[in-house]
Amino acid sequence: MKFITETSGIFTRYDINVEVGRKEPRKISEDELLQKVADCLISGDEEEMETTIRQALRDREPMEVINKGLLRGMREVSRLWDEGVYFLPQVILSSDAMIAGIALCEKKMGKTMEKKGRVITHTAEGDIHDIGQVIVNALLSAAGFEVINLGADVPVDVLVEACKVHKPLMVTGTALMTTTMTAFPKIAMRLKRLGLEIPFVCGGGAVNEEYVTSFDLGIWGKEASQAVGMAEDALNGLGWMEMRAKWNG
Amino acid sequence: MKLTNSMAYESAEEMIFGTAKKPVRTKRGVEIGAGLVLPEIITHPRPDSERTIKSLLREFERANGDALERCVLVGHPAIIVENEHVFQMTHNSEWGMEIAAQTGRQIEEYHEKYGLEAAYRSTVADIRKPDMMDMRNSDRTLEVLESFDACAKFADIVSIESMGGKEIFDYCIIRNDISGLLFAQAVLGGRDMEWLWTRIVDITHKNGCLPGGDTDCARANTAMFMAGGFLSKNISHSLAALCRAISVSRTLVAFECGAVGPGKNCAYENPAIKAITGVPISTEGKTSACAHMGLCGNVMAAVCDLWSNEAVEYHNMFGGSTSAVFTEILGYDVAAMNTAIALGYEKEFQSCLVNSDRYRDQQSFILCPDIAWAIGKAVVENNQSLYSRARAAAIKCGELMMGEPRLRFTSFEKESLFDYMKELASLPEDEGDFIDMCLKKYEKVKGFRPASYGL
Repeated sequence: MKFITETSGIFTRYDINVEVGRKEPRKISEDELLQKVADCLISGDEEEMETTIRQALRDREPMEVINKGLLRGMREVSRLWDEGVYFLPQVILSSDAMIAGIALCEKKMGKTMEKKGRVITHTAEGDIHDIGQVIVNALLSAAGFEVINLGADVPVDVLVEACKVHKPLMVTGTALMTTTMTAFPKIAMRLKRLGLEIPFVCGGGAVNEEYVTSFDLGIWGKEASQAVGMAEDALNGLGWMEMRAKWNG
Repeated sequence: MKLTNSMAYESAEEMIFGTAKKPVRTKRGVEIGAGLVLPEIITHPRPDSERTIKSLLREFERANGDALERCVLVGHPAIIVENEHVFQMTHNSEWGMEIAAQTGRQIEEYHEKYGLEAAYRSTVADIRKPDMMDMRNSDRTLEVLESFDACAKFADIVSIESMGGKEIFDYCIIRNDISGLLFAQAVLGGRDMEWLWTRIVDITHKNGCLPGGDTDCARANTAMFMAGGFLSKNISHSLAALCRAISVSRTLVAFECGAVGPGKNCAYENPAIKAITGVPISTEGKTSACAHMGLCGNVMAAVCDLWSNEAVEYHNMFGGSTSAVFTEILGYDVAAMNTAIALGYEKEFQSCLVNSDRYRDQQSFILCPDIAWAIGKAVVENNQSLYSRARAAAIKCGELMMGEPRLRFTSFEKESLFDYMKELASLPEDEGDFIDMCLKKYEKVKGFRPASYGL
């Protein structure tokens, strides 16, 4: 078979045209060990993170390690992702390292760190495709939210009951199939009837803005990466209508 | 199960659309891979139609009926109608069965009235979720097998998109962990398929139905979907290409258990499967844009026997319903391929399809017939285990990508591929050693049950 040498009239490699150059992470601390904590986090090195945290905790308060090492490191990871330098796996590995680091600090404190707020996540009944939810869970946990993960194939009743018990500041729903996303308006209606006006972020596969904004409480989540920003909004007191106006236009 | 040790095709040059070394004939008399390409239409019901069996039957009656009608209106000589089960159709086996029976009647009416050659593929939903149940011993497992039994009575072909290894795959794909992907797809997925397909093949033999084949959709297509287009920042395209190469080891298991094709359309690994087994395959490309973006729009037609779409939801368009419109599009694509065959221009036509996408992306490059064939060859030459052949396929795939100067990489992609290759080279040779390593490494992954895979 003959193979072409000139492809310019056939396709354009826009990824190469707009390639983001390598950017080094910024320095975040003058303290050598806290910088090392941040470096471990930025490189997603969970194993090295544990060793480094143990060293840092010898002569530092756990909250100092969290605030000046881990959280600042995670902010740097977010910046690198926002600027197109980092890809998703790098962020997830950093999240894993963050969670491991916080666990060690909490152990030293003898109590769990106060979480920013509670979010319930689930994948719709009849749907077992939950990778989007897995990503949301990791990102929210790393950002300091308490995640109540109900898993996949979650019946409407279970989700509603969990909302009654835990009173989350936000709920997320994932569905790959259009035939399973039909659970979302049922959930929204039940929550409203109970007076639980919780922002309900729905996304995944075939879920679209038109559908999600057709029922009260619904906010369409286009990408899993939006979950943290949305949870921050809910934490700051934005209601579902304001969030919908902001994120869905 | 004996692992394949030879190639059905001596070279990629031999491979062409419309002809397979081992053509099949369905119970309704449709020949596949016997010299012509046929369209395969997949329609999907609208949300809420799944509420009752009555509403779902009506939805499929219209969707499948529209496809058959459009064939007659525009003169398409033959079609395969496929329905991929929504959850309810497998969960309640009689639902899937009634829809299969109804579609069978529709097909027979069109054959009787107009002479339209048509057959029905029923793709059972794998409703077993690995992290939530024992894959071999759960209510859902029974439901899947019951559904096969019920649908095989009326369908010409049955298939499944099996889920084995998905729990480890999802964990590893978002962590850039190529060793874990090998474990998930080849070791776990392959073992699950061997268990499942032995049973599926037995069921089809009782019902005179063709055991079509499986697909690595739940894993390799997840990677492809996440890799996305040129601006996506989820996972590297090189990793998605390696996942595809690995998937050949896994999807091949169905045929080693007795499946005869046509392979399932969303198995983008099918060109390699055809090269190894000689079975007819279904593929999808640009016609899948209704369901997901893709970078392999034309090349996927190069060696197909059925040319298909990804499931298109039933809606009305200016030109009729989506099922009618996509049937028309698929049928004309196929008519062009069959015209090329009739004129003796098939290799030239194939060359255009291949060259359109060959250097577009890593994923399209590795699915060109010559590259897919070479990956297949690596599989059969390293058939000591499901793992060894998958690892060899990945290494061959990486070498071929790295060795092609016309395939361009961003620096991120180049570095990523280099790292994956380094990791692949460092892995144990022996499957037992690799399994031991992985069982330890992934023991804490939520819901991972080695016993589900006989480990």
